[in-house]
Order: sequence, then C-alpha cells, then structure tokens
Amino acid sequence: MKAELDIVTANELLSGAVVYLGRDGALHAGLAAARLFGPDKTAERDALIAKARASGRIVGIETEKVAVEAGGVLPQRLRERIRANGPTAPYGPERQDLGAPHVSL
Amino acid sequence: MYRYDEFDHGFVKARTEEFRDQVERRVAGQLNEDQFRPLRLMNGLYLQLHAYMLRVAIPYGTLSATQMRRLAHIARTYDRGYGHFTTRQNIQFNWPRLKDVPAILDELAGVEMHAIQTSGNCIRNVTTDAFAGAAADEVIDPRPVAEIIRQWSSVHPEFTYLPRKFKIAITGAPNDRAAVKFHDIGLMASANAQGEIGWAVHVGGGMGRTPMIGKLINGFVPHADLLAYLESILRVYNRYGRRDNKYKARVKILVHEEGLDAIRDQVEAEFEAARGGVLTLPQTELDRIAAYFVPPEFAEVATEFDLEVERRRDPAFARFVENNSFPHRQPGYASVTVSLKPVGGAPGDASAEQMDVLADLAKKYSFGELRVSHEQNIVLPHVAISDLRDLHAGLVAAGLATGNIGSITDMIACPGLDYCALANARSIPVAQELSRRFADPARQKQIGPLKIKISGCINACGHHHVGHIGILGVEKKGTELYQITIGGDATEQASIGTILGPGLSAEQVPGAVETLVDTYLLARASPEESFIAAHRRLGDAPFKEALYGSR
Repeated sequence: MKAELDIVTANELLSGAVVYLGRDGALHAGLAAARLFGPDKTAERDALIAKARASGRIVGIETEKVAVEAGGVLPQRLRERIRANGPTAPYGPERQDLGAPHVSL
Repeated sequence: MYRYDEFDHGFVKARTEEFRDQVERRVAGQLNEDQFRPLRLMNGLYLQLHAYMLRVAIPYGTLSATQMRRLAHIARTYDRGYGHFTTRQNIQFNWPRLKDVPAILDELAGVEMHAIQTSGNCIRNVTTDAFAGAAADEVIDPRPVAEIIRQWSSVHPEFTYLPRKFKIAITGAPNDRAAVKFHDIGLMASANAQGEIGWAVHVGGGMGRTPMIGKLINGFVPHADLLAYLESILRVYNRYGRRDNKYKARVKILVHEEGLDAIRDQVEAEFEAARGGVLTLPQTELDRIAAYFVPPEFAEVATEFDLEVERRRDPAFARFVENNSFPHRQPGYASVTVSLKPVGGAPGDASAEQMDVLADLAKKYSFGELRVSHEQNIVLPHVAISDLRDLHAGLVAAGLATGNIGSITDMIACPGLDYCALANARSIPVAQELSRRFADPARQKQIGPLKIKISGCINACGHHHVGHIGILGVEKKGTELYQITIGGDATEQASIGTILGPGLSAEQVPGAVETLVDTYLLARASPEESFIAAHRRLGDAPFKEALYGSR
C-alpha cells in the first residue's frame, strides 16, 4: 500500500528555483532530500513552515501530497511533478539552478 | 517609430532605480514577500513554477531591430537563450534571477523599453494590428493613437488601482486582426460621410472564465475626443466595477450586469464634462506624434512576381510567399509574417540567435522595423517584393521559414502547466503533437485557413474561446483533460466557440482534431469554403456527432 505523506516546498528568493524542506531542517534543491511528514507530524510540519515563512527568505511555501513508491518520492499532482523535474516542453527539462551566492539555504 | 523624449528617458530610468532599491531591500530582509510582491508585479516580475518570469512590454507590438537585438542579448546573458512572444504582443523571459532584474531593466531602458504595467490592475499594454501602417485595407494608421493611449495610460494616477486589469486594442482597418471585440475596450477606425476619421468603441469584451463579445457603446467618437471618451469609460468602470469578487471585477461583468444602455448613460455624462477639456487632442500634438510614424522612404521597385514560376522552381518558397506575405499599401512591397510555429516547436518561442537574425533581416529588408503579432509570430512590415527570395533564404538558415501562416499548424498556445503557476494542464506538448500530426504542407493547403488556439486554464491566455477549434486544458482528479470548442472567431465577425462534449485526454486530442477536420472536408460546399464558414453554415451538430456520436 502506498503511503501518502506531505512534503514542504517553496521557491528560493534569489533564483526562484524550487526548493524542499529537508530532513536536516535546511532547504534543498532536490526532491529526494525532502522530509516526509506523516499525519502524526502535522504540528511539527506547521511549526517548520511558520519558521520558514518568518525567515522571509523563501517564496510561495506550500505543502504537497506525495506517495513513496519503490523507494522514490512521487508528488501526487502533475503540477508538482513538473516543478520537480522541469518543463516537459522544448528548452526543458532543465530546472532552475540555485546558483551562488544565494540567501535562502 | 516613437522615440523617447527627455521625460520618457528620465521616468523609465527613475523607475528602474526605484526597483533596484526595492530588490536590494527585499534581499536584505527589509521587505517581506507580502510587501515586495505588488512592487515586483508593477514591474512585470512574476513568480512562476520554476523561476521568476519577466514580462516585457512591447508597445502595440512594435519593435526596432535595435530593440530586438537587445532582447536577444537579454535572453542570452540573463536567461536561457530564448524568449516567449505572447498573445499580448509582449515577450516573456522564463528564467531571470531576482538580482539580475534591475540590470535587465537597465538594458531595456537603454533601448526605450520597460516592463511597467505588464501586470496589476491597471491599463495594460495597448495592442493593435501587426500590419499597422502597412496594410492595404487600412483607414488610418492606428499606431499614433496607440502611442497617445500609451502615454495617457502610463502611471495614470486615477487608474493605477482599477477593480481589475484593463486591456485596450485598436485597429485602423475594417478587417479586424487585433481581436478588438475581445478586449475591455476595442477601437475600430471608420470614416463618416464627411470623410472624417472616428472610432467605433466596443466595451466589455473579453475571454477568461466569462467570455463576452464587446458591445458597441459608441459608433463614432471623433478622433480629437478619443482620450476624453476613453477616460469617461475608465471613470465609470473605476467607480462601479466590483472590487468584492475578482472573478466579477472586469468591465465586461459591469456592462453585462448593468446593461449597455445604463453604462452608456454614465459614460456619456462623464464625456459631456470631459470633452473639450485637457484631454482634447490638439492637432499640433496629433501631428507631433504622427510624425514618428511617417512611412519609410519606399523605393521604386518591381511589382511583378510570378508565383506560378516560383512554385515550380521552389515549392517551399512559393508556399512561404503564398501564406506568409500580406498585401502592402505600397506597390512593390509586402508585409511578411515570420512563423514562430515550426513543426514540433513551442508556439511563440524564439531563440536568442533567431532574434538576432530577425533583427538583421529587419534592418536589411524592412527598414529596421518588426512587429509582434497577437498570434505569436513576428512581422517584417515593409519588405520589397524583389527582396522576398533573399529574405526567405535568410530565414531558412535560421529555421524561421515555416510557410504556415493562417494554417492549422499556426496555432496559438499559452505556456501552460510547463511554466505557468495558474495553469491546470499543459498546452505546449498538445500544440507540438498537433503540429507534427498536420505537418504535411499539402494537407495544410487542402485544409485551408483554420485557427487552433490552446489554453492551459480558463484564464484563456491561449484565446481558446475564439479558436475555430479551441482546446482548453482542465484538471480532473489529477489528470489533464482537454475540452474541445468549435466556432470561435476573433475577427470582426466575432463569435465564441461552444464546447462540444466531455473532456478528452491529451492522447485523444490529435485524433479529435483529425475527426473535426475530416468532417469539415467532407461537408464543405467547395474547397473555397473555409472551416469557419462551413461551421457557420452547418452549426455544431455534424462536428459534435462526429466526435461524440449521438450521446
């Protein structure tokens, strides 16, 4: 049975790149590093979101549903899969790179 | 073309410096996102799925070769080497970094461009006929009026916080190539019995979730009174437009709910007070602006062009001439549309290299002028017919010679879910697949003029409501579905397409379009009867039956 969990995602302030709240509490560019929040971790998740939002260093912070399949993390919405992997259209599928220096991570 | 005066230069430079300071304060943590967001939007900077997006205004779609070259430079230096030309005759860069944006605005200001009022609840970039100032059927060149409207509407203190965004389109020709009836205000030039030029004013048109055809509020506003009349409409809208519900805030809803007569009464009352005042355009000022748009010095050139000979010699060139050239008012010249719809391409996208080539070719063959069409192509407005072959060769080398203007593969498509934060479904892959499916030029010619327009959400940036065949992406239970509409028309014969049935998967869309096309080919009265004409004669029924059966 697939476990449905939450991740926390946003866009980095300077590059606008997609970032994820990681297991170490920092923000990461890759979905694989995203921390998974189960239903019992809602309070902790919301506290971390509030902290991240209060930092003012990231934009558009959201929670997203993901499934863990064969060890991989799969966002449930197509929108989020495209955010994670880049455009499916010409000139894609590259993602925005965070670049350096940046202020959010 | 209009050239900035000292005031314009100073104003744009000051705005750029102001935004540079705002970015610095945002990065330093002195502004939070809630404070910064309206400031960046006022300067055309959105946040999309993957990155920021900068929307640059191209006033009434008019560009010089120098400006196009600068756009190429920006794409190459600050972005990923390409830009996306939009249905609003603007360009969008999909990957700028926040800290680079002030530098980009500096680059734009250096060539008399900016990104002001490309977002927000203000009067947006005025759009017009891409063949303005060149078309043989034109009553008047609309560009001087468009420029006057641009100056009037730029940071207009009364109209900076309207209930919702406001779009004005203007055409100087009776054949509407600017979709004026689908704008908040649409202006169409006409001449009265005395030969005086005036403007038919349509109000309350638009697409989005509530598509409406603009209603004729005044059939003839004298040229000199136009600004006063526009201001009168804006005042009524600003006063009575709804601010409690963004989905009901556009002027089209106000006109629909209050009724055209009630709105007209209010506008006429305002107009009575405003006309003859400071907004009356003195002839000297009209002349001063018009002087920026005098026709170039056309040469005496050969007007003979034997398409039949060319067709035998080089079918691709003949096809290009046949489809991509448009009658010019000057004998011996044509306007040429450069297609940004290659087979398998993303409609409206151009690489930096292609932009450079377009700038070079415009300089060589079109008096340094280019236009962005609302159908996401580039127009070289003034090309000597004797230069067509050389121009075509230059375009071939740059992958820009697709001879498909007006055909089924000349599609409009918004960026869709591949880029846009508002989208529900992807548009570009659907357009790519359709262009591959109908790539054969012989088949395109057999089908004739047919406009497909694709939007990735109900906001309708891809103009699906006015597609002869419209495709609207929706999301249902996590899956992309596409509603097919038929019978839309953006021209003076404006009509809104009707939905034929339940949504289809992306994989089903090309087959569905094939079915509609085949139905048309079988049912048309003659090869001269276009798809839209056949639909007008036949109605939805045969197309619906073909696509969905009798259910």
